[in-house]
Amino acid sequence: MPPYHHLRYIVAVTIALCAIFSLPAATTVIRGPYLQSATPTSMVVRWRTDNTEPSIVRYGLTRTELTTTVKAEGITTEHFVHLSNLKPNTRYYYTMGAEPVAKPAAAGTKKAGAAPAAAEAEDGPGKAPTSSFVTPPESGSSQPTRVWVLGDPGTKGDTQRAVRDQYYKFTDKRATDLWLLLGDNAYPDGTDTDYQKAIFEMYPETLRTVPVWSCLGNHDGKSANSITQSGVYYNAFTFPTRGEAGGVASGTEAYYSFDYANTHFIALDSHDSDRSLDGAMMTWLKADLAATKRDWIVAFFHHPTYTKGTHDSDKDSDSAGRMNDMRQNFLPVLEAGGVDLILTGHSHVYERSFLLDGHYGKSTTFNAATMVKQKGEVRADGVVVYRKPRARTAHFGDINVVTGSAGHAGSKTKPPALNHPAFYISLNEAGSSVLDIDGLHLTLTFLNDKGEQRDRFTIIKE
Amino acid sequence: MSRRTNLFVLALLSATPAGAHPEIQDALERLTTALAATPNEASLYLERGELYARHDDWPAAEANYLRAAELAPRLPRLALARGSLALARGQVSAARVLLDYAIALAPSDPTALILRARALARLGLTPDALTDYTQAFALLATPSPELYLERAALFASPADALRSLADAFVRLGPVISLQLRALDLEVALRRFDDALTRVDLLTSASERRELWLKRRGDILVSAGRHAEARAAYVEAQTAIAALPAWLVTSPDTVRLSIELTRLATTTP
Repeated sequence: MPPYHHLRYIVAVTIALCAIFSLPAATTVIRGPYLQSATPTSMVVRWRTDNTEPSIVRYGLTRTELTTTVKAEGITTEHFVHLSNLKPNTRYYYTMGAEPVAKPAAAGTKKAGAAPAAAEAEDGPGKAPTSSFVTPPESGSSQPTRVWVLGDPGTKGDTQRAVRDQYYKFTDKRATDLWLLLGDNAYPDGTDTDYQKAIFEMYPETLRTVPVWSCLGNHDGKSANSITQSGVYYNAFTFPTRGEAGGVASGTEAYYSFDYANTHFIALDSHDSDRSLDGAMMTWLKADLAATKRDWIVAFFHHPTYTKGTHDSDKDSDSAGRMNDMRQNFLPVLEAGGVDLILTGHSHVYERSFLLDGHYGKSTTFNAATMVKQKGEVRADGVVVYRKPRARTAHFGDINVVTGSAGHAGSKTKPPALNHPAFYISLNEAGSSVLDIDGLHLTLTFLNDKGEQRDRFTIIKE
Repeated sequence: MSRRTNLFVLALLSATPAGAHPEIQDALERLTTALAATPNEASLYLERGELYARHDDWPAAEANYLRAAELAPRLPRLALARGSLALARGQVSAARVLLDYAIALAPSDPTALILRARALARLGLTPDALTDYTQAFALLATPSPELYLERAALFASPADALRSLADAFVRLGPVISLQLRALDLEVALRRFDDALTRVDLLTSASERRELWLKRRGDILVSAGRHAEARAAYVEAQTAIAALPAWLVTSPDTVRLSIELTRLATTTP
C-alpha cells in the first residue's frame, strides 16, 4: 500500500470515530417528570435519565407551541429545572430535553391506573413527550381545590394500586390540583429503589401533571436524615425552604409551608427533627401560624396525635414517643393558631375525630363534655357538618384525621382496637382521602379500595 | 464470646419492642431468618441493632452491636451506630471514644462529626465541639437550622453566638428560627439599630406586619426611644386596620389591638 494510502486510511478512521463519538447518547427517562414546589408563578420540573445530558425544559401555553426554553447548568442524570415568571392559574405544556426518548409507562398505569382527568389524552410517556400542569392560583384567591391525600402508600402491592385506581375512578374528569403524601411513601426502607417502585412507577401520570408535597415518615427516615438534609427522601423531593411558596422561611425541607388559593398547608417532620417546645421546628411553626392570612389552615405530618389503629397513641414506647410529642407539644400550638384540619398517617387505618380542642393526654383523660366542640350535624345525604366562624379563633376546634391506609390496612385476623374516644369514626380499611376546598367549605371524603365513600364531613366557615 | 455474653445476647436478641409495629416485626423476622442462615454476618447484627435503636430498645440494640463488633470490629457504620447509641443513653465519654473511632474510619462523615460535637459539648470541651460543628457544616450542602442553633448555644459570649449565625443566613436564607435567635442576641447586646434593621426585614417579608411592628415598638422601648416606640405601636394598629375584616375581628387580633392601644397610650 503506498504511504499516502495509509494517511487516507488514518484520516478516514479518525473522521468515522469522531462522528460516532459526537453523536448524542440516547437517553431514557427513567423517573418522572414530576412537579415540585409549585407557586402561582413558578414550578420545579424534575426527572431522571439513565445517561447524563443537559437539563432542558421547553414549555408554552399550547401543546404545539413550546416557545420558551429553560436550561439548567451542567449535564446530569438528576434533572432539576426551575420555571419562573409563569402566570397564576394557567395551564402550561412542557417537555424535557432537546429530544427526549421517553420510557414506556409502567405496567398497569395506562390501563385501570390511568389518571383520567389529571392527564389529557395525548400526554404521556410512551405516546407523546408533552405533559402539562396548571399553576396554582394567586394566594388568597378562592377557587375550588381538590387535594388527594395518601398516607403510608408505598407497599408497591395490589392494595396500593387498588386505592390509586379507585381514586382515579372517583375523581374522573375533575382534575387534582395537588397531592399530599403523609410519609412512609416507599416501604420497607425508603431507598431509591423503593421510591422508584412505590412512587415513581406507581403514579407516573399524576406525578407529571400535579405537584406533589410530602412529609417524612419513619420508613422514609431509614434512608434519610433531617438534620443533615440528606438521603433518598431529601434527594427525591424539592420543597420550599425560604418561604417562596407562601409560608415563613423554615430553612429546611423537613418542615415547611405553602399556600394554595385560600388554604395554608403546613408540613411538619414528626420523625427526625427536634420536637421539643423550644426547638427550631416549634419556633418556625408559631411564626408561620401567626403570619398566614389564608382562610384555611391544614397541617400534615406522619405520626398521629391520637390513634388506636396499628399503633397506639397511649403507649409511650410506641414509635419512641413521637405521637406523644406531637400531641403534647405541637397540637396545643396548632390549636392556638386556629388550625382547621390535621392529616396524619403511620397507623394503617382511617380514624376521624369530632371537632375537638384541648385533648393533649392519653385517651383515658379524654373528656367529651369539654373537648368535643361539636359532634357534627348529620345531613340527609350522610355528610357530617361542622361550623366555625371565619374570624380565626384559637381553640375553636379542629378535626384530626388519621388516613394511613393507602398501602394497606391493619390485620383482618387480628384487627386493631379502633376504640379511641376522640374519633367519630374508625375504620380498618385501605383507602385514601380526598380533600375538597371551595371558598368557605372544606370537605373530606374517605374513599376505600373498593371505591366506597366511607366517611364524609364538611367544615363550613361563616 | 463468653457464656455470660452469650446469655445476654440470646435474651436480648429475641426481644421485640413494646408496641411493635407489624413492619418492625416483619423486619425483625427477616433479619432473624437471615441470621439463622448466616450467623456470622456482622452487617445483619448491625442492621438489627439499628432497627432496635430506632425504636429506643437500647439494650437489644447494644447486644446486637456488640455481636457485630465481635465479628467485624471495623465494620463500616458500626462505630457510628454504637457512638450514637451511647450518646442517646447518656454514656457521653464512651460515645466520644466510639465516635473518635468512627471519624478515624470515615473522616468526612458529617453525621459522626455532629454526634461527636454533641458529645464534646456535653463533656464541656467547647472549642473541640465547635471545631467539629464547623467541619460538619463545611461538608453539608444544607445544614439544618437546628445545627446552627446548637452551635450558637455553645458560645459564652452573645457577640460570638451572633457572629456564628451569619454564615447560616448566607447559606439558608432568612430562616425565622435563626432570625429570632439573632434578634434576641442583638437586644441582649443592646445593638438596637441592628435589631431594628432585622425587624424591618421581617416586617417587609410578612403578610401580618402588625406582629413585627409591635416587636419593633418593644425594642424601641428597651432602647429608651419612647416616641418612636409609640409610633411603631400606632403603625401596627394601622396594619391591623388594613387586614381583611374577618381577620380584624379574630379574637387574637382584637387582643393585640387592645394591647397596642394600651402600649401607645402608656408608653412615656
